[in-house]
Amino acid sequence: MSITKLGKVLVVLASASFLFACSSDGSNETDTQAVVQEPVQEVVEPVETEEERMTRINAETRQARTVYFDLDDDTVKPEGRALLEAHAWFLAKNANTIITIEGHCDERGTPAYNLALGERRAKAVAEILMLNGVAASQIKTVSHGEEKPAAMGHDESAWSMNRRGELKYEG
Amino acid sequence: MNRSFRAIVVFILAFAFSAAQAEEVKLDFVISEGIDGARPVAVLPFSWKGTSVNAPSEVATVIGADLRRSGRFNPMARHELLQQVYKYEDVNLQLWREKGIEAVVVGQIEEQPDGRLKVSYELVDVFQKEQEVRNGELVTVDRNRLDGYSSIVRAKDLRFHAHRIADRIYEKLTGERGAFATRIAYVSVDRSQSKPYRLMVADSDGYAPQTLFASHEPIMSPAWSPDAQKLAYVSFENGRSEVYIQSLYVAGDRKRVAAFEGINSAPSFSPDGRRLALTLSRDGNPEIYVLDLVSFRFSRITRNTSSIETEASWTPDGQTLLFTSDRGRGPQIYRQNLASNRAHRITWEGNYNASASLTPDGKTMVLINRTNGVFHVAVQDMESNAMQTLTKTQLDESPSLAPNGSMVIYATVYGNRQVLSVVSTDGRFKARLPSRQGEVKAPVWSPFLD
Repeated sequence: MSITKLGKVLVVLASASFLFACSSDGSNETDTQAVVQEPVQEVVEPVETEEERMTRINAETRQARTVYFDLDDDTVKPEGRALLEAHAWFLAKNANTIITIEGHCDERGTPAYNLALGERRAKAVAEILMLNGVAASQIKTVSHGEEKPAAMGHDESAWSMNRRGELKYEG
Repeated sequence: MNRSFRAIVVFILAFAFSAAQAEEVKLDFVISEGIDGARPVAVLPFSWKGTSVNAPSEVATVIGADLRRSGRFNPMARHELLQQVYKYEDVNLQLWREKGIEAVVVGQIEEQPDGRLKVSYELVDVFQKEQEVRNGELVTVDRNRLDGYSSIVRAKDLRFHAHRIADRIYEKLTGERGAFATRIAYVSVDRSQSKPYRLMVADSDGYAPQTLFASHEPIMSPAWSPDAQKLAYVSFENGRSEVYIQSLYVAGDRKRVAAFEGINSAPSFSPDGRRLALTLSRDGNPEIYVLDLVSFRFSRITRNTSSIETEASWTPDGQTLLFTSDRGRGPQIYRQNLASNRAHRITWEGNYNASASLTPDGKTMVLINRTNGVFHVAVQDMESNAMQTLTKTQLDESPSLAPNGSMVIYATVYGNRQVLSVVSTDGRFKARLPSRQGEVKAPVWSPFLD
């Protein structure tokens, strides 16, 4: 339970910092320059451009590749949405990058129904990516139903980790 | 020296490995809830005439265990048996009657010159009258011998033959066909193995498990062909769900029958074996299709573009499908005649009903019902629509009926592991078949084998 929560908090924090970076218009640049101008530095760090900074923060945010769902539900939660927007930002800029979205379920309910529910979840994730500028041709979806749990165990702490959509970058 | 030592090590390792393989999938039967009213019977050890000291298999033990796990009978413990005899003529009816035993099973096994075994058995109804008045005269009648039967079997088939004898006994005593001489297919998952997912086939009591297919990726939803020669199932070996049909007896006879975009799942053979109902989302949404196994044409049965339609099963007449649909919010069971385009909802209790199938007489539906967040195996009377929960376990799934409709095998969680369990269709008898290692799921009971 606590690990799940911690994971989600980290996702929210990472996403928030990415969004903040997106919305800021260079007001942080002075800080960056101050660091570069430190006279004691022997190796001078190249100046990070706004574009590079965005890319770096985005890459950090995109370390998280899983979004979570409620029981019987295929709605991506707000923190998951923010994470998906970060992935979409990158994918829209890299039109040759292909991702596979895996939909997963917890063990409750019947395996065949869960296979279909997993597909719904994968498609819900795909939808958000496409709404944020990712081409349909960049996205593949696959459902694993309840067959590939991320957490073993038969209680809510495992189930909440298993109701998920995972983004897998190709190559 | 060195080489021979290595050879020995290799041999020992190979032996240890094969032993571990056999252990891995072995199922043990544990009766968790018996029935008070089970009928007392006695199965006496069969006599043995052959070259070895003991018969190749303990026939009486297998028969006794079968009768016990039907929930209908309570076979006497071996050490309590009152007589050790092998023929009907030698059974002391009075002795067994006094003990309240209803029926006695006796038998003999004789090795033939060709090594095969002649197995004879007799079933004795202890309480039938031995004499009756006919035309004013008291005559002796022979009605106590309910059944007698002998056949010649290969030594390696002796144990399975014991299930056939148990089937005869069960039918004579209950009037219902026995289903012990059947098999179960299931999926085992053992993450310590290099190929963790295995499609297994075992005798109905979990004995003699064999691997039909092993994979690095998940296997789902095995389904028997009505002639029990083939299994259809879902395999993820290519990274996503695809439907295969594989022969149990012809090596290499394995065919991929559905690998469309999206999900390919939930296969179910029609009663005549010529069609396969399945779920495909190739048109964008999970829908029920019927595949003609002769022409290989698909026909789409459901047309609900925003809901999940899956888990088709056939009515015994092959005219109608039952399936799970969430067109009315949560998943519920619907019935649709193949000649019509209209589906009728048939479940109303609880907010989750799925995995439905009918008993062979078509009168009872077995399904998974969720009430208050708990998933149970349940039955619903098809006439009154009354639903009854059969189990006390909590995460039940994949219910499958024995071919005589008397028992349901299903997957559930016990002791934090996924195990197989059985429950009688009246809910009175319950047992578990845990695997000694790993987890087991997706059980499906074979049809009658002859």
